[in-house]
Amino acid sequence: MYTSAVFEIKNLKRQYGQGFLLDIPSLVIERGKSYGFVGPNGSGKSTLLRMLAFIDEPDEGTIRYHGNDSMGERGYVTEDRTIRVSVTMLLQEPYLLKRSVFENVAYGLRTRGMRRGLRERVYESLNMIGLNPETFSHRKWSELSGGESQRVALAARLALKPDVLILDEPTASVDRVSAHLIKEAIKVVRKNYMSTLLIASHDLVWLHEVSDEILRMHEGLIMGSEEDNFITGPWSLEDDGLWSTTLHDGQQIRALKPPSPTSIALLNTVSTIVTTERPDHLSAQNILAGRLMHIYTFENSERVKLDIQVANLSLNATVTRAAVRALGLMPGLDVWVVFKASSLQWQ
Amino acid sequence: MGYIAEGVVTALKLLVRGDPETYSAVFTTLRASSISILASLVIGIPLGFLLGYYNFPGKRQIRALVDTLLALPTVVVGLVVYALITRRGPLGGLGLLFTIPGISVAQTILILPIVISLTATAISNLDIRFKRTVMTLGADRRRTAITALYESRYGVLAAAVAAYGRAIGEVGVSMMIGGNIKWHTRTITTAIALETGKGQFAMGIALGLILLLLAFIINWILQIMKRKT
Repeated sequence: MYTSAVFEIKNLKRQYGQGFLLDIPSLVIERGKSYGFVGPNGSGKSTLLRMLAFIDEPDEGTIRYHGNDSMGERGYVTEDRTIRVSVTMLLQEPYLLKRSVFENVAYGLRTRGMRRGLRERVYESLNMIGLNPETFSHRKWSELSGGESQRVALAARLALKPDVLILDEPTASVDRVSAHLIKEAIKVVRKNYMSTLLIASHDLVWLHEVSDEILRMHEGLIMGSEEDNFITGPWSLEDDGLWSTTLHDGQQIRALKPPSPTSIALLNTVSTIVTTERPDHLSAQNILAGRLMHIYTFENSERVKLDIQVANLSLNATVTRAAVRALGLMPGLDVWVVFKASSLQWQ
Repeated sequence: MGYIAEGVVTALKLLVRGDPETYSAVFTTLRASSISILASLVIGIPLGFLLGYYNFPGKRQIRALVDTLLALPTVVVGLVVYALITRRGPLGGLGLLFTIPGISVAQTILILPIVISLTATAISNLDIRFKRTVMTLGADRRRTAITALYESRYGVLAAAVAAYGRAIGEVGVSMMIGGNIKWHTRTITTAIALETGKGQFAMGIALGLILLLLAFIINWILQIMKRKT
């Protein structure tokens, strides 16, 4: 696997929605990796992905693609064919051209001037996405279900064997079978084409299974990777010199002095310890009761991410598969989350 | 009432036996309207595409003008074209007056706004996701434009069919420019007007039936096109 950068983003700014500003001072996307983007609606995921697909342009800043400045003269979205044809994106609401499934999948190949081997490539792509070419290639765009349309749209991108494949909510409007087939296709693309993937999704379980790294976005900012929990204040000074914030059920989180009473604290997911019985006599200042909600596993990794609900706060903790087995962790179990006051870093 | 029933019977006989005078009018209509539809498509589709696809200053005003011309009265077109191609007129030397090409020129002017307006509508009604989608598949500007036209093909065909319907059904231009000359420029519509005036219903009814049949076929095609868009 290469580790060189596919995209280097510097000081990217872009207005979007109603008065929001996408603001990314610096971001490097490494070659061959799969990045998941999570965040609420309106957090700027789609805007960022469209700019990386070169179908939208920033107001300020640069996006370098394999070290080349991707912007054309006067800042217009690049017309450079070699760049435009090696990055492709599946839009949030896919649109199929008013022609057969075969012609939809072949369209991108035809724009690249491909004539020979067209049929093989189209059939291969349809197979990858679980659509039988013999049955589907002659169907019209209007004869497909929502999930089938989404898969045909994806097949049209897979056929291009893209250097970068960008997917915006690929499973938002599809059935479970389609979501599974899309996941399998993504795995094949990574293995066979060495493509870099950028995927935005609300389906966190699904997203974890196809991503190496998760980036969190909030109101136009990338709030670090998913290695961090965010704990918002307000923070107030306690008698013992520590600062605390109170959760809805009365439990307190204790920290060292914040820069301001409204600062946001970052808690790395590896800094947390999870137990199934309340520990006693610990130096750690934070021992919080919560409930294990989800367990996420990662592709080719011993890492496991736990999603624990502590009052109104959703905390993530990273543990190993071995720990999950030893503690007999399963969703619904009451657990304790332990971390030191000094583990909280200020943003 | 008997003369109508008699007229229908005679009309069917004329049609079945292949009455030369009746069919002469039919073929004249088809010739004139086919030339005019071809000319109006060649001129109108590119103009409609430009009007629907690109944004430029004055676009809205041009659009409003074209839409106004949709209601262009046939006699006004007849009058203007007559004035231009009459022997004394600036284009008198072309010898178009009282000829089928003359009818076609006037009909082209008449139906051009239909082709331009409906083509522009079809193009501008393209799904907003269309452009982004073809861009993500690597299309450059030229190919995006070509694909846009192809995606709107049913709308453009509907424009052509609607325009053809107007061309074969109009009577003012054919009468004024063609002159209703038997065996020469007499069309279905001018023949019906003349025969009715003479009280000869049979041939009028025969031609009327053919015109209705053509109108039915055209509308049928139009419905199919609309369903596809």
